[in-house]
Amino acid sequence: MSSKATRLVGGLLVIVVAIVLLVVLKKDDSSSDATSNAGGKVPTIVVEHGKPVGGIADLTYNKGERIHFIVESDVSDEVHMHGYDVMKDVKAGGSVSFDFSASIEGVFEAELEGRKEQILELTVNP
Amino acid sequence: MSFVLPVAHALVARKDLPIPAWLFAWGASIVLIVSFFALSAAWRKPKFEQERWHPVGARLSRALLSVPVQILCGAVGVLLLGFSIYAALHGTEAPDRNFALTFVFVTAWLGLPLFSVIIGDVFRPFNPWRAIGRAIGGGFSAIAGQRPAHLTYPERLGRWPAAIGLLAVVWLEVVYGSSGGVAVGLSPDSLGLAALLYSLYTLAMMAFFGVEKWCQTGEIFSVYFGMFSQLGSFGTKDGRLGRRLPLSAATHWATVPGSAAVVIASIASTSFDGAQEGAFKGGIKQVFEWLSEAGLSLTTSLRVTDTIFMALCFVGVGLVYLIGVRGMATVRGAPPLRKLRTGFAHTLIPIAFAYLVAHYFSLFVFQEQAQFTYLLSDPLGTATTDLFGTASSGIDFKLLSANAIWYVQVGALVIGHVVGLTLAHDRATAYWPDYRQAARSQYWMLAVMVAFTCFGLYLLSVANA
Repeated sequence: MSSKATRLVGGLLVIVVAIVLLVVLKKDDSSSDATSNAGGKVPTIVVEHGKPVGGIADLTYNKGERIHFIVESDVSDEVHMHGYDVMKDVKAGGSVSFDFSASIEGVFEAELEGRKEQILELTVNP
Repeated sequence: MSFVLPVAHALVARKDLPIPAWLFAWGASIVLIVSFFALSAAWRKPKFEQERWHPVGARLSRALLSVPVQILCGAVGVLLLGFSIYAALHGTEAPDRNFALTFVFVTAWLGLPLFSVIIGDVFRPFNPWRAIGRAIGGGFSAIAGQRPAHLTYPERLGRWPAAIGLLAVVWLEVVYGSSGGVAVGLSPDSLGLAALLYSLYTLAMMAFFGVEKWCQTGEIFSVYFGMFSQLGSFGTKDGRLGRRLPLSAATHWATVPGSAAVVIASIASTSFDGAQEGAFKGGIKQVFEWLSEAGLSLTTSLRVTDTIFMALCFVGVGLVYLIGVRGMATVRGAPPLRKLRTGFAHTLIPIAFAYLVAHYFSLFVFQEQAQFTYLLSDPLGTATTDLFGTASSGIDFKLLSANAIWYVQVGALVIGHVVGLTLAHDRATAYWPDYRQAARSQYWMLAVMVAFTCFGLYLLSVANA
């Protein structure tokens, strides 16, 4: 292959790679912050038909803070806060309140255990 | 129409926090500075091409490599495989409560690369398929009075079967297992079935091509763990245990065709697993939506999407390496392209190892607590057995702070980068008689390594963000 052709192929390759990277690394803009824990109000995750309204909720705390949130559900299930291993039953149409200290760093899920449906992603920063 | 991607967590109750921006910046800067100094402090003669082999203690060697010990190790391996399959098929369907999943995908799959680097190829004596294959071969010889005849292994295939197998193992774990719609990860049932099928396939291949030949080329786990053992300084040679210059064995590892594909597959599959919930999340969601709108079921859509992205990772990592090799070929006095392509593949092994440590270190530490507490006492997850009285213990997630995990992650990548550069420079001095040309050729490998290391750092910085 002549050096000109090599350069052409190289150039094309770079363009292809750039396009692929753009698609592949496209920012995920869909993760809506349905729940915010700023502003003093106790965040509430509403579950309708067994799914969290507005998608999986995000809550972020710093280590040592008090984690406090409420789950309102129209289905009966067990809410399991993984990592912290807190489990509480919720009745259909009822609500359940979680209140514990942010003692473990990391990213954790809370699920409706029976349905294997994630409702919350809890982030605890150091 | 909006889709919610099914979220999977097979075993993991906790995910790592993304490394903060400042640490990312520091890590990347250190990588660049180290690389700069590596260029100027270059040595002129190859140091790692010779193993400088020293046999150790003849008595110890004889004892450890004796036939009874080999039989014992083989039996332990077969027992563990058998028990894992049994637990997978007869234990609980909850992946995190079943011994098999953690044992196979964490203790063995992530633990053995680590132990292979530190103490040598420990998997080889415990390899259950090798043990069964040798037992059958021995039985055959005893009855037939002759050694079993084998087909000639097509040398051009080399380690390609292992490279493809490696992708298949990771695919089973992170693509097939994570895409069950309301996924909870790979079900123990599927793992048991896969292990049975793999055993049949492996024993058949061993019967065709011979036990040792297949272990060197096609048996996924032998090839994969064996690759990492090349980095360390302990090994066996001519029936003796011995010590060699660390990293030196790696310089001869890639001469078998397809070896580059094995190490690229390793980097690619770790990258994919690290990126699927972070860097690739948006892209995966996009393709997933296209496919499900085109009429595929949700599970199929996600599996196909993940498969595409995993294949993209393999092609991407391979391309970066090949561009580096192509670049080196333009330097005056370069050996033929083919030789370069195999000649520098081993320089990626430290990068592959660094990726493993960076992505799975915390998972390994946390999940091993489960392995040695409740999964050992109640291996089937039936909640009725408590063999060692540890069935109700759990994982202490406070064992590692987020900071400790971050430093290990960035440290692993930086060290892997330096070791990779060292091996590449050493190989260049062996290939180019003129050290100035050798140094020039290494601008290309340097670019490859910087790309991999910074990509690794980037993946950690956007993990599940």
